[in-house]
Amino acid sequence: MPTISTFLGLQTALRGLLAHQRALDVTSHNITNANAAGYTRQEATLGASLPLELLPVQTQSFGGAQLGTGVEVHEYRRLRDQFLDLQARGSATAKYFADARATLLGQIEEALAEPSDNGIQAELANFFDAWAKLANNPESAAARQAVLAQAGSLAQAVRDLDARLSAIAQTAQSEFTTTTQAGGEVEQLAREIAQLNVAIARAVQLREQPNDLRDRRDLLLDRLAQLASVQVQDDPARPGSVDVLFGDAAAPLVSYDTVTWPQTLTSPGGRLGGLLAIAASGGTVDQYRAQLATFARNLADAVNALHVTPFFSYTAGNEAATLAVAVTSPAGVRTGTSGAPGANDIALAIAALRSQTAGPVDQYASFVGTIANDARNANNEAARTAAVAEAAEQRRQSVHGVSLDEEMTALVRFQRGYQASARALTTLDETLDVLINRTGRVGL
Amino acid sequence: MTYLRITESMVERSSLADIQSAARRLADAQRRVSSGRDLVRPSDDPLRAAKAISLRNELALVGELRGNVDDAINWQEVADRALSNIGDYLQRARELIVQGANDPVGQRGREAIATEIDQIIDAIKQEANVTYGGRYIFSGTATQTAPYTPGGPDAYNGDAGVIERTIGPGVRIPVNVVRGGALLGQGQVANDGLILDTLRDAADQLRSGTAADLNALRSTTLQALDRNIDELSRARAEIGATQRRLEAAGSRLADLELTVRTLSSQTEDADMAEAITTFASQQTAYQAALRATASIVQTSLLDFLR
Repeated sequence: MPTISTFLGLQTALRGLLAHQRALDVTSHNITNANAAGYTRQEATLGASLPLELLPVQTQSFGGAQLGTGVEVHEYRRLRDQFLDLQARGSATAKYFADARATLLGQIEEALAEPSDNGIQAELANFFDAWAKLANNPESAAARQAVLAQAGSLAQAVRDLDARLSAIAQTAQSEFTTTTQAGGEVEQLAREIAQLNVAIARAVQLREQPNDLRDRRDLLLDRLAQLASVQVQDDPARPGSVDVLFGDAAAPLVSYDTVTWPQTLTSPGGRLGGLLAIAASGGTVDQYRAQLATFARNLADAVNALHVTPFFSYTAGNEAATLAVAVTSPAGVRTGTSGAPGANDIALAIAALRSQTAGPVDQYASFVGTIANDARNANNEAARTAAVAEAAEQRRQSVHGVSLDEEMTALVRFQRGYQASARALTTLDETLDVLINRTGRVGL
Repeated sequence: MTYLRITESMVERSSLADIQSAARRLADAQRRVSSGRDLVRPSDDPLRAAKAISLRNELALVGELRGNVDDAINWQEVADRALSNIGDYLQRARELIVQGANDPVGQRGREAIATEIDQIIDAIKQEANVTYGGRYIFSGTATQTAPYTPGGPDAYNGDAGVIERTIGPGVRIPVNVVRGGALLGQGQVANDGLILDTLRDAADQLRSGTAADLNALRSTTLQALDRNIDELSRARAEIGATQRRLEAAGSRLADLELTVRTLSSQTEDADMAEAITTFASQQTAYQAALRATASIVQTSLLDFLR
């Protein structure tokens, strides 16, 4: 007869108890982390343990056999799909780029305050109205005063708008600088990724499964992908470690345990890319300010050309920020070329600028139109990329996310498995009880 | 989209996204109702924003033009009244001249008539010094200078400058039709045959009373006066024509203002009935989203396991 341990069954049942306990542990790990950001659900893969080899002599048929010894946990699997990560990060980069642009353009649009009774359009209309009233009453000191006051108000509105545009660009630029400077968010994320690289590579070498460390690293990579485009490459020399390329920076941001930062970014995509596109020198705000300056210069030149003596003053190259009224006293406002008190040809000509084709009014309207179209396109792009990013995130959640119903079902399943294993143990125990305590007690 | 597994975080994310988009639409609808405006930011509809801005400019322009036209009409009325008064004085002068040219009046009577004509001259100058809004309307562009000096020399003190009003884009109309002393002239010094010259001649001829002078009074002077009266009528006709043109422009502008104002309102303002209906339906949608989320989040397998 083959020699198989009497207690093999006890061992098998014990394996069942232990394996189910591990499976329950994993399930409860999943449940407790259901709401943890970046958590990937795990699964204890159960499989039969190594069987007991029975030699041919041990079997009646002399064919040899393998006797099952129960169950064990083969691995703790992390249910993550790298390709969904790629998709989700790519679409998040596009979304955050469009978001940053749309938000900044929205602020610019609010600074315009058009169409309303307080914008530059209204100031322009009031300015020309004042000239028209002066043309009707060229003798009136009050009408001259009104022209000066309106002109001052118009110049102030142009300067204010320029200052607000510049402030919006500065705020965006300083957010960019704060995020990218040494010790900023990018570097902090990169340093943590480098540390995780080291920890994960060591764990992989020891054939451990550093699931939660990988989750943490993926979460940090997600965060980086919001800031700028990110490329993640496996490091062939050190399994488990990754190299990270960030935006259009020349050198890898993270290479195993090395962080190379700060580096120059010109068009990195993501939130940083959006900020740069608006606020960098030569960016959107600079273009708007140049348009506003052209408008201010043309307005001042057109009025000055009619008004014999300079009416508006400005500094060339910085027209919008320096537009001011050059005439200081009501007496300096010229209404007619002859200088006669009733002459109004100059006032008439200046008031007529409002209906000039491609004149100041049209130029300002087209300036507003440019911003409106840009803002609309940015809003549309933000909505589109947000929908794509949300879909990618949903797909990722569908694979990575924890479903509580599923975990509850697993909980019930593993609990039953544990109970059954325990029952098997009891049954074996009772069987052995007969053998140990009752056998050979005949006549006692 | 079909998914293999539906996880809690997916349900939560999509419920939250749906609630937020419903809330955003509700806020938009509420903003439209409370502000009464359809177009809050240019990017809501760039084309409409451009239209709204150009309509606002047009509205301001039409407002200005209406002001110009009203001012020009008042100006013409003042000018016409003054010329009408001058016409009355000229008629009176003509009657006096005809009367004085008759022998029975005698030299004393003629001198009395001459004195009255002197007074008429002063009265006519006074009329010519009429002001509108603090300016002399017959002085050309020298509006702060009285054109004539009653009781003084007959010289014209103004200039010949034209004063214009813009009554349409690129359309200007002169409002001081009579300028440069064109009607009253500069008196005997200039010998221009205009009103002041004629009346001064008449007074002199009446005072001298010689047969030759009276003859001249009856023929040359009276003819000159009739010519003056004709010229005055022509000037009044011209003012009348200007006035009619201005009134036509004024009523056209009033129509235009109404049209532009309506268009501007249609472009910028919310259709209240539609806005309130949208608001109500967005409110319902928002509440439905909230209710659905509340019931989804509550149900779980946990509710059914012992």
